[in-house]
Amino acid sequence: MTEKKTTHFGYEEVAVDEKAGRVADVFHSVAAKYDLMNDLMSAGVHRLWKRFTIEVSGVRAGDKVLDIAGGTGDLSFKFSRIVGENGLVVLADINESMLKVGRDRLLDRGAAGNVVVSQADAQFLPYADNTFDCITIAFGLRNVTDKDLALRSMLRVLKPGGRLLVLEFSKPKSSLLGKVYDTYSFKLLPFMGKVITDDADSYRYLAESIRMHPDQQTLKNMMDEAGFGETKFYNMTGGIVALHKGIKP
Amino acid sequence: MLSTKALSPSIPMDDNAPNQSTLDPTLSTAALAALESAINAALKYDPGTRSALAKLAGQILAVESTQPPFTIYLQATKTENQSLRVFADPDQQCSPTTHLSGPFLAIAALALKDSSTLANSGVTVMGSTALLSDMQTLLKQMDIDWEDALNQLMGDLLGHSLANRIRSLAGWAQHRILSGQRLVSEYLTEELKSLPAKPELESFYQEVDELRMSVDRLEQRIARIIKT
Repeated sequence: MTEKKTTHFGYEEVAVDEKAGRVADVFHSVAAKYDLMNDLMSAGVHRLWKRFTIEVSGVRAGDKVLDIAGGTGDLSFKFSRIVGENGLVVLADINESMLKVGRDRLLDRGAAGNVVVSQADAQFLPYADNTFDCITIAFGLRNVTDKDLALRSMLRVLKPGGRLLVLEFSKPKSSLLGKVYDTYSFKLLPFMGKVITDDADSYRYLAESIRMHPDQQTLKNMMDEAGFGETKFYNMTGGIVALHKGIKP
Repeated sequence: MLSTKALSPSIPMDDNAPNQSTLDPTLSTAALAALESAINAALKYDPGTRSALAKLAGQILAVESTQPPFTIYLQATKTENQSLRVFADPDQQCSPTTHLSGPFLAIAALALKDSSTLANSGVTVMGSTALLSDMQTLLKQMDIDWEDALNQLMGDLLGHSLANRIRSLAGWAQHRILSGQRLVSEYLTEELKSLPAKPELESFYQEVDELRMSVDRLEQRIARIIKT
């Protein structure tokens, strides 16, 4: 009898082929109030983390940008303004509910013409080799079942010289901040989730999945192994969030 | 031609160098976001400057303060609700059209004073001086429609009467300042003859610019001849 391969779903061990479905359920549940919850959970700071990501991206007019796990389209909207009418932004997400919210929000804010919406799995990106100047994945990599496979897929669709930016929760630099952060995310976060979306479990999963995500140095090593060059990371808000950058050689 | 000299570290620094004194990018990004938001909120009430900036869309002015050390970038845009993008470029990937550097106070003084020269200002410029001159002119000609802003805040009646008072007070103050400046400037250029007149200076700077462009063209020609 062969043993079934497992992976993490928060603190739970689940079969590899189950994880995507379980993650999808979480995001179907929170999609409608995702932005509101993000604002409340981070006190609006997630906007600054995303803004810094855009500054580090070096995206300019005419560039092609892929925003993976783009969710409600925050980054895609900003990128669509920067790349202009000759550029292209692809808002990609594996989750249909999140993608629908993102597409509607982009249209409501007047981003059209240079933005396309695409339902895609980060592990098997359905785009040609050497297509994009920049790829971003903000708060999405920790939900991907096979992160190494996803990183290699991203490398394939990047143009040589193109940049990958991974914005993700990480490990706080100070132990005191770590303790405060733990109390906040395991006590207050599920409570807020319960009050606002009537779904404490999804937010408990978010907190657990953050703890299971590789820390700064490990993710940097994973990017090196996937084939990215000049990899580095920026710690933000004391390391609660880190922005990793790698360049396709 | 723009120099390729590396810019000094922008506000947020790489965290992979643990011994370096670093400012958390969250804080520096918040400061720049606040600055950008304040500038764009003011420009919302100045359609003239907004449309002039739209003509400069895409051009980037790098402002490098040597003391305190930081670099910020200003990019004119023509998108709705945003006329000027203010950003740091931590990895120095963008190519500024114009790069201004010097102590922060000297740069601030340059932005405010009515001068066409950088001589003795402590500020150096690289790249196209045209963008710098356009930006400086825009800053001086900025005419914020305070009345519209006040009306939106407190209604037409109160807003209009308050705006009238502010306008007359500002007009009087500006007149005093301008006449004082004119008297001093006339005394220095016409009576003492210790300074050249403004038109002479401007013509001189134009000639320098033309010479610079001719040298650039000549450089290109020589490079082409050598290549062939």
